[in-house]
Amino acid sequence: MTGKHSLATYGIAFFIILTLNFFLPRMMPGNPLMAIYGDEALVAMTPALKTHLIARFALDQPLWQQFGAYIAGLFRGDLGWSYFYNAPVLKVILGSLPWTLLVVGSSLILSTMLGIILGIESGWRRGSKTDRAMLAGLMSLNGFPDFFLGLVLLIVFGVLLKLAPLSGALTPYSGLSGLALVLDVLKHMALPVAALTIAHLAGGYLLTRNTMITMLKAPFILTARAKGLSQNVIKYRHAGRNSMLPVLTMTGIWLGRVVTGALFVELVFAYPGVGQLTYQVLLARDYPVIQGVFLMVAISVLAVNFAVDLLYPKLDPRVSHAH
Amino acid sequence: MHISLKKEIKQSHIGKAGLIILLLVIVIAVLAPLLTRYNPNQQSAASLLSPSYTHWLGTNQVGQDIWSQLLYGARTSLLVGFGVGILSLMLSILFGVSSALIGGLYDNIIMRIVDAFIVIPMIVVVILVAAYIRPDLFVLILLLAALSWQGGARVMRAQALSLKETGHVSASRTFGASLLYIAWRHIVPDLGPILLVEFIFGVRRAVFVEAGLAFLGIGDPMLVSWGMMMRDAMKFSYLNVWQWWLVPAGVALSLTIVGLTFVSHAAESVLDPRLRGEAVA
Repeated sequence: MTGKHSLATYGIAFFIILTLNFFLPRMMPGNPLMAIYGDEALVAMTPALKTHLIARFALDQPLWQQFGAYIAGLFRGDLGWSYFYNAPVLKVILGSLPWTLLVVGSSLILSTMLGIILGIESGWRRGSKTDRAMLAGLMSLNGFPDFFLGLVLLIVFGVLLKLAPLSGALTPYSGLSGLALVLDVLKHMALPVAALTIAHLAGGYLLTRNTMITMLKAPFILTARAKGLSQNVIKYRHAGRNSMLPVLTMTGIWLGRVVTGALFVELVFAYPGVGQLTYQVLLARDYPVIQGVFLMVAISVLAVNFAVDLLYPKLDPRVSHAH
Repeated sequence: MHISLKKEIKQSHIGKAGLIILLLVIVIAVLAPLLTRYNPNQQSAASLLSPSYTHWLGTNQVGQDIWSQLLYGARTSLLVGFGVGILSLMLSILFGVSSALIGGLYDNIIMRIVDAFIVIPMIVVVILVAAYIRPDLFVLILLLAALSWQGGARVMRAQALSLKETGHVSASRTFGASLLYIAWRHIVPDLGPILLVEFIFGVRRAVFVEAGLAFLGIGDPMLVSWGMMMRDAMKFSYLNVWQWWLVPAGVALSLTIVGLTFVSHAAESVLDPRLRGEAVA
């Protein structure tokens, strides 16, 4: 799989996401307002709010008009109304999004870089003790669900060693600013980022190692050796650089995994991002927010995949000539 | 490509280790009722007891025996895993092989759908759907299978396309064999190791997602699951209970997934001969 998907693929994926989001609540038994908001919320609603919501989502109209109203709403940035938070869904999600972006971004970068470096070193020493130990070790780590890794880190570093804070993203009411605030944020994100990074290290590592092994058999490596280049130059500049390419194509797919991983890890550390939000709205059965989170996450993963597909031919000119 | 899959897995240390772990989990799942006196769903003693001779791993917040839950959790994981593995493998074969053999518009449509599903993050879809329909074991298996056959279908299609061009398939075409016959007699048997690798991928993903859903609290509450145990134990992480409650469940889940990863890694080296053999550098 080279990650070369056409625009049509993304179009279809987008359509599937929208359709799921639109039809799922409306396929449920009972009236759609009840399905969208759950029966408990419906009992507590005032009649005025009910009529407002029915008009807003065009729920008294035929299905295709509802779909039209839904799509039109999306383009205005209207993801619905959260009954639990009593605020627009978009606002609720945007409030927790920065924290998730921070954690996901850092661990995606860290795990990709570490994975590539370890993969290059391991593939270079293929068959040696170091290589076998790294392979077995990283594949075992790959089996650890990210939330369990998070819990282990939390118990070891938080509860037993008391080195890291147990929960949250900031020390509450501390009134920190400047450098102290940055340090506080870093301290709080260290464990969640570590859990995600360790859990997602193996993907990049295995892929780089495999490519490295094939790459080292290529004629240009022999030429490089014959030229008398140093080991490190051959390892990183010749073989390593080329072994990075497949990793890049996978970034979009890994982003999907890291984001979903973050949903679980945030829950472990009570980190106030989208994952924690998802958990709370699942408990409260605040369906519009669940739907909003689904839409945002799915679409951002699609967008990154698409961007990678666009970038890839620029990084590897062979791809654009491959047709 | 006649490399023996069995031999390959047996020769690799990693593959052997994986098989042993998996067998252990399977034995535990099958023999669960013999290894404990307690029903994992019933209160058997006071709540939050420490480990003792009667309750090896103590009891949870409602007085259920944790050791029994651990054993029966293996059943849930394996049932969901193997159920989804088999179903999604069948769907992969069905759509992958038929796309390759029929070709044309049908192939195009199937592959567009497959591509679309590959770029959508699966767990998020499962969370959304599960939030609405609160699936029981059976529905969960169906749901996960419906969302996880796509990657496999792409691989099967590629393999079937190359098998389609081989001599024995053309020969059987000239004898008037139907597409169905060719698919069943000539293509599917030759998919060999790919089937195993894709099957294990499916099992692994399903074990993972089941635990994740239970951890989030949208699994079937009547089902004893390692994910649910970790979720319950997490609420008491300020007590010392994590030693006999959280860690065993987490380790059991991780070991199962590690076992599957090891076996699939060994099987993968059959598919990619470049990864075989020893010591180069």
